[in-house]
Amino acid sequence: MKTTVIVVAVIVVLALIVISIYNRLVRLNVNVNEAFAQIEVQLKRRSDLIPNLVETVKGYATHEKETFERVIAARAKATTATTVADVAAADGMVTQALRGLLAVAEAYPDLKASTNFLALQEELSTTENKVSFARQYYNDNVRALNSAVKTIPYSFFAGMAKVGLREFYEVEDPQSRIAPTVKF
Amino acid sequence: MAGVSFRAAQSANQRKTYLLLASMGLLVGLVVYAALTYFGQSTTAIVPIAVGIALISVWGSYYTSDSIVLRMTGARQIQQSDNPNLFNLIQEVTIASGLPMPKVAIVEDTAPNAFATGRNPEHAVIAFTTGILDVMDRDQLQGVVAHEMSHVGNRDTLVAAVAATTAGAIAMVTDILTRMMWFGGGRRDSRDNNANPLALVVSLIILILAPIAALLLKSAISRRREALADATAVAFTRNPAGLRSALEVLAADSTVVHQRSTAVAHIWIESPLDAKSVSRLFATHPPIEERIAALRAMESLGPAT
Repeated sequence: MKTTVIVVAVIVVLALIVISIYNRLVRLNVNVNEAFAQIEVQLKRRSDLIPNLVETVKGYATHEKETFERVIAARAKATTATTVADVAAADGMVTQALRGLLAVAEAYPDLKASTNFLALQEELSTTENKVSFARQYYNDNVRALNSAVKTIPYSFFAGMAKVGLREFYEVEDPQSRIAPTVKF
Repeated sequence: MAGVSFRAAQSANQRKTYLLLASMGLLVGLVVYAALTYFGQSTTAIVPIAVGIALISVWGSYYTSDSIVLRMTGARQIQQSDNPNLFNLIQEVTIASGLPMPKVAIVEDTAPNAFATGRNPEHAVIAFTTGILDVMDRDQLQGVVAHEMSHVGNRDTLVAAVAATTAGAIAMVTDILTRMMWFGGGRRDSRDNNANPLALVVSLIILILAPIAALLLKSAISRRREALADATAVAFTRNPAGLRSALEVLAADSTVVHQRSTAVAHIWIESPLDAKSVSRLFATHPPIEERIAALRAMESLGPAT
């Protein structure tokens, strides 16, 4: 009688442990999905801003056709991307093209002083921040998932939970938040 | 200075909070022991009653903290259209942290300061004085927003409520017992039977010192949560320089939020109490120079991945 109670208790405890491991893996995976969806939301927001920005700059800087075309092309390409790597690559292109556009704007004092442009600039810098925080949040979640999937005991149950390693979101961008390294 | 990653700073401060909370639990145990030794079984009922009263009073204010604190500080809730740039900053930090959008409030006060409250992230409020919105640039304000959102994410209103409940219960128990001492009530039955003079003296000392010890622990917990919120803010923004220069602005500014209610002193980003009037041990915040140095140590590591 006593042994049966002990056996049942052990089985129940083991089952609870397995359930909590399984649930954590699934939750981590869902977090990664949600974080990726957030990146897409923010990229969409940025994409919606671009026509307005280009129109504003065009009014003042008529000779920068090439820069405009680069932004428009990058934007068009970004809308077709679906996989993490593709979205990240397109994102990097738009980021760079926009930076080029803003650099152009620097050369036109009239443009810089226009209220329309000032409002757009705040909108654009918050959008850039939102995009970059969304990337960071996604990568933090991927890191949490991947380290769980690779460590015991979670690694034993990753297959059962249909959860595996996920891809980091890496943007080809030489300038993004890299502080200059000081060498002595 | 050697670099310290925000992750290391976060886990160190979390660990210290647990240690301090455990010490508070131990203190409760000591008080119960002292009460039983000094007064005997007749006092057994006091402890649960005191804990009950403390729980009810603190839990009520914890649960409705968002509206109570707003009323005590005179903060007024605002909408996105009132300050779109501030809302942009807050939205950025909610994306970085994965937290829901809090309610936002403004305190009409020229002293730069900010606070966060609310029982959980879904009922969070973060408030800013008009002064802080005027003096800080975008990066500094982003650091402040991230610090406040860290309090929300780390559930510091809950931690503060737990600390206040325990300290309150200890104060109440020792208060009742020391009153009983004056009247010599309940003492005879225990002293005559199993009186151990040493145990009696120790118990007496415990009962006298416990409320002060509880207050010290409560302040120490508050200081740890502030340091933790600074580290968590860096985890959100990955930009220690923003919060660091914001703290430098606060340190250089000598104006103080005019309502000096000590009851809500711990929730502001910079303590509204005059630094000199509060002893370091009872302070609710670490010295601001120490916080700046900690952030500098994170900066020296360069950008974190």
